[in-house]
Amino acid sequence: MAKIDNLSEVELDVLDAISTVPDPEVGVNIVDLGLIYEVAHDEENKRIEVIMTLSARGCPVGDAILQHVQTVVGNVFPGFYVDVELVWEPQWTPALITEAGKAELGGEF
Amino acid sequence: MQAGLSTKNAPSPKVVLPHYAYGAIAFIAAAIVMFFAADEMVVNTWGLKIYSLVHILVLGWVTMIIFGALYQLIPVVMEVKLYSEKLAMTSFILLGTGTPFMAYAFYTSFTKGNMPMMLGGTLVILAVIFFGINAVGSALKSKVKSVENRFIVTSVFWLLMTVVMGFAVIAYPAGMPANVKAIHIHLGVIGWFMMLVVGVASVLMPMFFISHQLNKKYLETSYWVLNGGLVILLLSFFMAMDPLVTGMAAISIFAGFALFVKYNYDAYAKRLRRKLDIGMKHSVLAFSLFFITMATGLLSAFAGVFGFSPDVVVKLNLVYMTSLFYGFLSALILGQMYKTLPFIVWLKLYQDKVGKFKTPLPADMHNQFAADAHYYAFVLGFVALIAGEVLASVILIQVAAVFMLIAALFYAYNTFLVLAHKEKLEELVLPKPRARARVKNSIKK
Repeated sequence: MAKIDNLSEVELDVLDAISTVPDPEVGVNIVDLGLIYEVAHDEENKRIEVIMTLSARGCPVGDAILQHVQTVVGNVFPGFYVDVELVWEPQWTPALITEAGKAELGGEF
Repeated sequence: MQAGLSTKNAPSPKVVLPHYAYGAIAFIAAAIVMFFAADEMVVNTWGLKIYSLVHILVLGWVTMIIFGALYQLIPVVMEVKLYSEKLAMTSFILLGTGTPFMAYAFYTSFTKGNMPMMLGGTLVILAVIFFGINAVGSALKSKVKSVENRFIVTSVFWLLMTVVMGFAVIAYPAGMPANVKAIHIHLGVIGWFMMLVVGVASVLMPMFFISHQLNKKYLETSYWVLNGGLVILLLSFFMAMDPLVTGMAAISIFAGFALFVKYNYDAYAKRLRRKLDIGMKHSVLAFSLFFITMATGLLSAFAGVFGFSPDVVVKLNLVYMTSLFYGFLSALILGQMYKTLPFIVWLKLYQDKVGKFKTPLPADMHNQFAADAHYYAFVLGFVALIAGEVLASVILIQVAAVFMLIAALFYAYNTFLVLAHKEKLEELVLPKPRARARVKNSIKK
């Protein structure tokens, strides 16, 4: 599994696909919110794995976000099995938000 | 995909949505009744039209929406499925039927346990018992042992006490202590509404503001100080103790609410979402109005110690209750509708469509003009209402009622706009692999 600051070209394609997924509450995409921890693209076994978190435990739209990631990646990479795993460790912190995400959230930190 | 997320625990939307529709209509009805009850709000002895207004507001608006929202939020806070959807639906029908009977009985000069009052009261008490079973049944299944959870369960206990006491006042008025109404009101206000709001708001506010690293000790201390204060307050009423005891209990309750406000203020101050949407704008307004409630509540408790005249005490109590129900709780509900209802409808319509089509976001489902309009109409209505009460002006209270009616109509428009939202799907354009230049540094190292 590759951390998202060390992705291969094709894994960056996976991340591009995931960046079309907004958090329905905040309206900012989940890559910029720092919710994606790891991405793995396995050409040989036709398998893509995504490890991600959510900003709040018990988030009411959590399932919809996970479903969204799985569907979008599956559409961009047809024929691949997409596994989206939700983890709570390491716990998400605001430090994971990208500069673009901070700007969209409205401001200064 | 993971199991155990709250969407999987969410109840069927048909259980939750009718509560929002009913609440919106009751809020309109309350404004209309207020217009016609204005003359009774400027005299020292409350007339029965005021009781009608209070019960429409408290049962039809606040309790109705809180019940509906809780059926959605219990799975979020407790991370379990709701104990029983059938009980929830039955409770809705009972509360929805019982409230108009009670409002009618009060409005038409009820004097003793007549048929509409007894019927309405019985239906409401059953609704509350069914709700209580649902909340406690869900809590018993929950593995989450948070202080927020404890606030919710404790509030249900106080709610049962409130309705039992209210029913006893109607059924056996002779056997009740002199200040039984004060006991009924404080059980309901502090024990039920506020205990519940502390529990739920302390989960939702940090989640919506996206605030982290908050000090839970404020909430833990708030729980004990609030409940301890409430028990002493009730004992002081029951046993007609020295006014100083009432005052000390009030200080304890005041401290509990101050800690709750501090916790939520920290969530606000540490928020990552700097821009406040319409939901959070209302929530900030609600907390601002709560300061009026806290100040007047404390002064009212010390009325005996300070020797306030009956006229001042009546006005203090009127502003205390108005700022709580028409101020804090109503503003909170007006705002939290936008943070809950669109998500319920969105999940129902779009959960299976995300990733296949471009879908609207929950925030796109309401009309922004109507939302802004009811925000300002509500603020004007509230200011006019408090001014009308303090100056004993029927005209000002009627002006307030008109503003509140405008607010309620715009709010109902948005509520029904969200409820009637029809699926809107557009073609989704997805990025093509290896076809685009990348912006690697958009990802934080």
